[in-house]
Amino acid sequence: MNAAGGDLIGVTAEDSDWAAVREDLRRYGTAVVHGRLADWRPRAPDGPALRAVLGRDWSRYRAIGHPDIRGRYAASRRLLKHAAAAALRAEAIDLELAYGPTGRPYLRGCDQIDISLSHTDDLLLVGLTSRGLIGVDAERADRSIYGRGLARLICTPHERRMLSELPEPERNPSLVRLWTLKEAYSKAIGQGMQFRFNEFGFGPEDRRVQLNRPDGTAGAGDEWTLRTLALDSGGTAFVVSIAVYDAGMGRTLDTAITTMLDAEAVAAVQAALDAERGEWSQILHN
Amino acid sequence: MSRDGMLDLAGFLAMVRDGLGMDLTEEQLAADFDLLPDWDSVHLLRLVMLLERETGRSVPVRRVLQARSMREIHSLLTTDGTETR
Repeated sequence: MNAAGGDLIGVTAEDSDWAAVREDLRRYGTAVVHGRLADWRPRAPDGPALRAVLGRDWSRYRAIGHPDIRGRYAASRRLLKHAAAAALRAEAIDLELAYGPTGRPYLRGCDQIDISLSHTDDLLLVGLTSRGLIGVDAERADRSIYGRGLARLICTPHERRMLSELPEPERNPSLVRLWTLKEAYSKAIGQGMQFRFNEFGFGPEDRRVQLNRPDGTAGAGDEWTLRTLALDSGGTAFVVSIAVYDAGMGRTLDTAITTMLDAEAVAAVQAALDAERGEWSQILHN
Repeated sequence: MSRDGMLDLAGFLAMVRDGLGMDLTEEQLAADFDLLPDWDSVHLLRLVMLLERETGRSVPVRRVLQARSMREIHSLLTTDGTETR
């Protein structure tokens, strides 16, 4: 069972079949969707439909002057809310995006799923999990990081040794992979608990990815599931990493908002309402 | 992002919010990093990587690491302190 989800699910703003999101959540407890900025950018940037979807983010959106950042802000939230709405069998306009004390975004009142957002270039990426915590990150596969003196800030001593032993053409792609894994992990735990990037590491991609100490020994158990995938979006190659923390409560097989209330509690409230209605009925008819 | 466009404060805040998961106010932009809740030097590295990705420019790493507030870093982006890749 892969707690970090199945294949990445491509979705468009119009006519997407969101059943795949619900199916991955049911099967893995996690679903990761991607879309294109050009597709999710709102056609009416000041229209009522966008205002309804953005909700409390509307004023922040309106304050952004730079058109590219403004468009990306709106597009990423449209995708996130539509994906979450599909998972929750709700309407996107009924969901409210908020930020916790550690900076993690969450859906207010919907703690049955955790969310994570990443965007780079034309790619928008959203992770959803019912297992516990999720972080996702994407970078262009051709992003140049290696050889700029950043490896010592990004990598543990073990990772730097691992990179230096690789053939030269493989070093930058390997560092991009490590970077996205560290970003995804950091997003999952939230900024309040972050470690320096050269204080935790990951092993090579030819075996199950695990969280390591600086010397390369295992630093965590099976509660973390980490994976990296290659994605072609609009002809551009991206590296996508996903980190999922399993809180140990198992998968929530039904994440719909309407079914998350405890059945006994609902029955008790209904009984109380029925009794009250009965009393009023007697008063009105006497 | 357009390489020619000016990065306004609200856009910078949105970028930091989405990229780093830090929900800062405009007042906090001017605060010394020591006064920001949970600020850590790891954020500077993430910020450098984020800004390069979003602006398409090489960020002067040493000057970013020397900055004492987000506003200082924002100023670096809106002056001649960056080079086109």
